[in-house]
This record gives sequence, C-alpha cells and structure tokens, in this order.
Amino acid sequence: MTETLLEIDDLHVAFDTRAGVVQAVRGVSLTVGRGETLGLVGESGSGKSVTAQAMMGLIDVPGRISGGTVRWCGTPLVGEGVRRAPRNIWGREITMIFQNPMTSLNPLMTIGAQLQEAVRLHLGLRGAAARTRAADLLNAVGISGAARRLDQYPHEFSGGMRQRVMIAMAIASEPRLLIADEPTTALDVTIQAQILELLAELQSQLGLSIILITHDLGIVAGLCHRVAVMYAGQIVETGAVDTMFEQPAHPYTQGLIRSTPLLDACDDRLVAIDGTPPGLLIPPAGCAFQPRCPVATAPCGVPQVLTPTGTGAVACCRAGIDAWKVGAA
Amino acid sequence: MSRHPTLSVSGLSVDYPLTSGGLFRPARTVNAVDGVTFDIAPGETLGLVGESGSGKTTVGRTILRRVPSSGGRIQFEGRDITDVDGAALRKLRARMQIVLQDPYTSLNPRMKIGDIVAEPLLVHGLAESSDAARHAVRQLLDRVGMPADAADRYPHSFSGGQRQRVGIARALALKPSLIVADEPVSALDVSVRAQVVNLMQDLQRELGISYLFIAHDLAIVRHISHRVAIMYAGRIVEIAPRNDLYDNPVHPYTEALLSAVPVANPKVQRARRRIVHTGDTVDIANPPSGCRFHPRCPLATDQCRQASPPLLVKAPGHLAACWNRGR
Ligand SMILES: Nc1ncnc2c1ncn2[C@@H]1O[C@H](COP(=O)(O)OP(=O)(O)OP(=O)(O)O)[C@@H](O)[C@H]1O
Ligand SMILES: Nc1ncnc2c1ncn2[C@@H]1O[C@H](COP(=O)(O)OP(=O)(O)OP(=O)(O)O)[C@@H](O)[C@H]1O
Ligand code: SF4
Ligand SMILES: [Mg+2]
Ligand SMILES: [Mg+2]
Repeated sequence: MTETLLEIDDLHVAFDTRAGVVQAVRGVSLTVGRGETLGLVGESGSGKSVTAQAMMGLIDVPGRISGGTVRWCGTPLVGEGVRRAPRNIWGREITMIFQNPMTSLNPLMTIGAQLQEAVRLHLGLRGAAARTRAADLLNAVGISGAARRLDQYPHEFSGGMRQRVMIAMAIASEPRLLIADEPTTALDVTIQAQILELLAELQSQLGLSIILITHDLGIVAGLCHRVAVMYAGQIVETGAVDTMFEQPAHPYTQGLIRSTPLLDACDDRLVAIDGTPPGLLIPPAGCAFQPRCPVATAPCGVPQVLTPTGTGAVACCRAGIDAWKVGAA
Repeated sequence: MSRHPTLSVSGLSVDYPLTSGGLFRPARTVNAVDGVTFDIAPGETLGLVGESGSGKTTVGRTILRRVPSSGGRIQFEGRDITDVDGAALRKLRARMQIVLQDPYTSLNPRMKIGDIVAEPLLVHGLAESSDAARHAVRQLLDRVGMPADAADRYPHSFSGGQRQRVGIARALALKPSLIVADEPVSALDVSVRAQVVNLMQDLQRELGISYLFIAHDLAIVRHISHRVAIMYAGRIVEIAPRNDLYDNPVHPYTEALLSAVPVANPKVQRARRRIVHTGDTVDIANPPSGCRFHPRCPLATDQCRQASPPLLVKAPGHLAACWNRGR
C-alpha cells in the first residue's frame, strides 16, 4: 500500500449522559493512505460522525476519548499521553466539511472575507494576494464570476454553491486529508453529481486523501477505493470497494447492499433487515448485529474479532455465508 | 367505480403569496405549480420526482385540498372535488390520507400509539364504541407489523421505521382509496427503508390502495411505482410507465437526473458518462421564460427560450414537454 497518513488504533469514545455512559465508538481501527478515498458507511447512530470528530480533536464534554490513539504520519494527535496535539495539523493538513453548509458559514461576513481569513491563517497571505488566492479557490470549485461573488454574503448563494464554498474553505490550506461528513446529503442529485465530480478532480489534481462519510452506497461505489462499514460503534467489515460490493462478507454489509434498490432493475422484493440497532448504553457483549442476523448461531454471542479477508477484514464468525438467501428460505 | 381513475388532476396550478399586497398594489405571487395534469388508477402507484422546490409537496397538499388551487380541476373517484367544502370535504378527507416524511415530528409525542391510530376513527365516527375502536387499532397495528403492546406506549419508545409504520396504520384506519406519501422513507436508514417500502407494496396488493409516492430517491421510486412523473420548476416535464421512463427518458432534465444518480455498483458507476449540467436550481419566484429548464439545457434553442413546450405524447403512454426531443 501507499504511505499511511492517518492511523486510528482501537479508538473508544464515550458520552456521559444522564441516562448513563453512551459507548458511541468501541474499538475502531482504520488507516488512510496518501491519495486514497476511504468510504465510511453504516446505520444512523453507528458512530461515523463521532469517529470523524475524534480524528479532528473535536470531541468535547459530555464526550471523551476513553481509549486508543489517532496518529498523523506517526505523530500522536489524540489518545493516552497526548496533552496537546502538535499545531498546524488540524485545520491545515487535515480539514473537514460538514453536512450543513449554512451553519458552518458566518452569515454576517462576505464569502470573500471568510475565504481570505482562511488563506491568511493558513498560508500567511494578506491583502491583494489573499484576495487573488480566494478568487482562485472559488474558481477551483467551479464558481464562475469569482471576483463579484467574493463580495456576496452566504444567503446570496444557493445550497449547492454554499457547499462548494465550504469545499473551497476546506482546501484553502492545501490539506493532505479531507474529511467529508455527508457532504451532499442536503443537495439535489444533479448538484450532488457536480460536487462529487469536483471532489474526484481535486483528488487527482492535488493528490488529496479523502474520508467520505455517507449513507449512499452509490456515492461510495463511484468515489471510494476502500470501504469501512460501521455498526453499533464498531467496524464490522473493511475491504476494497469492488470486493465489498461483489462479495460482502458480513451479514450486515450484505443486507445493506441487498436492501438498496438498483436503478436499472426493479422486480425483486427488497431485502429488509428487520429490527433496529442495539442501544449503546449497555452494548451487547457479542456481535451487535446478532438480534437482526438471519444466520446467527451460538458463537455470535461472544465478541467478534476482525479477521483478515482478501482485501480487508471482517468481524463475524459466520462471514461469507449468503445470509439473506439462507434467511429467506 | 373502478371505471374512473381514483384521482384525476387536470391543469392544476397553485400560486403562493410572496408579499402581502397593499391597498393599491396587487399581491405578488409565486407560481409554485403550473398546469399539472395526471391521473392515478385504482391500485396504482404514481411516483413523483423532482428537485427540491419543484412543487411536489404542493401538488400533494393541493390534491388533499389543504392548499387552495388557483386553476385546474381535481377529480376523485369520478367526482369533481375542486370546490367541495364543509361536511363534504370532511367526508372526502377520510378517503384520501397522507403519510409524511418525518416520523419524528408527525406523531403527537404526548399521545399513546393506540390513541394516535384511533383518533381518525373517532373523529369520523367510524367506531361504534371504544371497544370497537380498540379492536380496530389492534388489527391495524398488527397489519403494519407493530408489536402487540405498542398501543399503550408513546412514540418516543419506537424507532424511526416503527414510527413510520404507526403513521401508515393511522392513514389506513379510514380505509382510504388514495394515500399521498410525501417522502415516507427519506428519513429512514437504508436497511429500514426496505421494510417500509415492502409494507406499502403488500398493503397495496391487499387493499387496492392508490399511492402518490413523492420521493427524491429514484431507485426507490422505480421499485415501488407503476408510472413515474418528473417535475421541474412547477411543471411536469415527463410522465411514463416506469420502465419506459428509466430506460428511455425523453426530456433532457430526466436524462440529467438519471445520469446524476449514483449507482451502487462500482464498475458501472465508475464507467458512467455523467451529464453534469452547469447551472443551478431555479428560483421559482423568477422562473425562466419559455421552457423552465432552458438555462441548464444543452439542447436549448430560441424557441425554448420563448415558448413553453406542451406536454405531448412521444410514445404510447409516454408524455414529455420538450421542443427538441421525441418529435
Ligand atoms: N453529544 C452527544 N451526547 C450523547 N450522545 C451522543 C452525542 N453525540 C453523539 N452521541 C451518540 O453517539 C452515537 C454515534 O453518533 P454519530 O453521530 O457518530 O452517528 P452517525 O453514524 O454519524 O449517524 P448518522 O448517520 O445519523 O449521522 C449515537 O448513538 C449518538 O446518540
Ligand atoms: N406556504 C408557502 N408559502 C409560500 N411559498 C411556498 C409555500 N410552500 C411552498 N412554497 C414554495 O413553493 C415551491 C414548491 O414547494 P414544495 O414544497 O411544493 O416543493 P417540493 O418539490 O416538495 O420540494 P422538496 O423536495 O424540497 O420537498 C417552493 O419554491 C417553495 O419555496
Ligand atoms: S424545450 Fe428546449 S430547453 Fe426545454 S428541455 Fe427541450 S430542448 Fe431543452
Ligand atoms: Mg453522522
Ligand atoms: Mg416536499
């Protein structure tokens, strides 16, 4: 594999709530290589955003990192013994775009002022140089008439254009890793396609690494090299994108793919995964998917360990069985 | 009765007030729906797709007579209901129900599930006694796959998919012949979406209900619909049986939409030639002249900029509104 940039090792994140301790992330390990796009998928509430926030050092009370480490090019950023992360990594080498662009842009500042601020902060550019760079960034994300656009406010931009501005802000520092948490969920598909095209272009031009968090398996299929599937705070499967779609090994991954209707076929009944994910106050001791799994057996009650597969790893003692065919019979 | 379509809409238009006009100033309006025509047969699902703001919800709410129309006619089971009101409207509403997107806010959090489902029965006087209502509720909850003890619990103790089942049970209570489902699965997880879609299909086969199924997810729409209508900026630009529409789209916007949907198959998705249109979504308060898609359309000509293309038959059962396609 190419040089590893980000390395997450056995990460645990907990939230202290009135009802008890929510164990949102329970032993996640991941790596991201240079120029690689990693897709992070999974049920709502499975811990994708919390994992991303942990990578960015954004976990705050009532949350805490309760175990594990995050390293950037070998340097620990988060975890035991890390008092203070080295400067100039978060917000500079690693940046993030969030789902809702309206809440992440300052409504009272012009787009240009916000971009110039980012450019000043990260690249030390000021005045005309900062403005030129800001206009270049708007051009890079496909917004035409940049000079005029710089003097406008966020409300004068459409949703899709605001999301482009967020991407412009996120690449202003010339980062090496971009974490995108549902970057297109609020957008129409035609606009979404433009944004995804843009991300793919930026990746090939800048050699950027991307962690893409999404619910949409189609987006994963088009953009990602590798995929990690989360369920109830854990990674249940990782692998190369083609393998994951052709031969998903974990019953949950299989169910996820089979319950997604395809655009070019429509006659089969959809596979439905009955039931709902477990609560994370008292997470199950064994496989968290067991209550919903059609092929569960006794050994599923003990903790499942990630075991290597051809292109990744899977945490399931029944891995590889066609769970939904067996289940439907 | 089944000689008539369940629903028949012709030339439907809806204007929303934009500013309140002064004494001598006419109020400005937004033309959110412009001349929409379609019908839905008994037991049929019509999928309604289009950009955000294209008027899908408005069409659904206008059919249910919750939003006033400014033009056109609405016929329900062969009867013109455009202007009915009072008791007739109340009775009509029992036959046409709505299921909404957000299972988190569409149920009253302070009411028990049983009371939520029973409410329409009691309001419309369709249950002779509270015992009869309780019995009916039990059957409905069972029908949508809710646990037996659900009736005595509150919405917060159920998941999104379960709450959506409750919403469907409630809509079914009055044995409607039409359900307007406005993004009923958009807020649900992928794995749970399939449960609700399967349930809606089963209920339709069993009870012969018609659905107007509004959604963004084109794959789900293809899966559940018999026919599909595509809206753009308040107008239907294409309507056809589902396979015709997906396999042989006529309108450039439909084409753009279909080519933009990511397909959950890496080899296919990487190889697809995307029709990525420049240009942005329409500001419906200032709609473009002529064909409302012309600023984004690669085929636009002067005719497109000047005159609005009529919705014409391009193949059997396949209508589209485009000057340059399918002549
Ligand atoms: N501030 C908080 N306080 C308490 N619990 C929290 C907090 N933030 C997140 N959680 C919990 O952590 C778990 C993981 O949440 P997270 O937002 O990472 O899910 P997700 O996978 O991103 O889901 P989605 O797909 O819906 O965005 C959830 O159970 C959530 O309730
Ligand atoms: N009550 C209202 N008053 C004024 N304008 C409205 C009102 N409701 C909707 N509109 C406008 O009418 C247009 C159509 O809105 P509608 O909600 O029908 O769109 P939609 O297709 O359902 O969109 P979405 O996919 O986002 O739900 C939009 O431009 C919207 O801003
Ligand atoms: S009428 Fe003209 S502008 Fe409209 S879709 Fe057809 S070719 Fe394009
Ligand atoms: Mg999230
Ligand atoms: Mg709507």
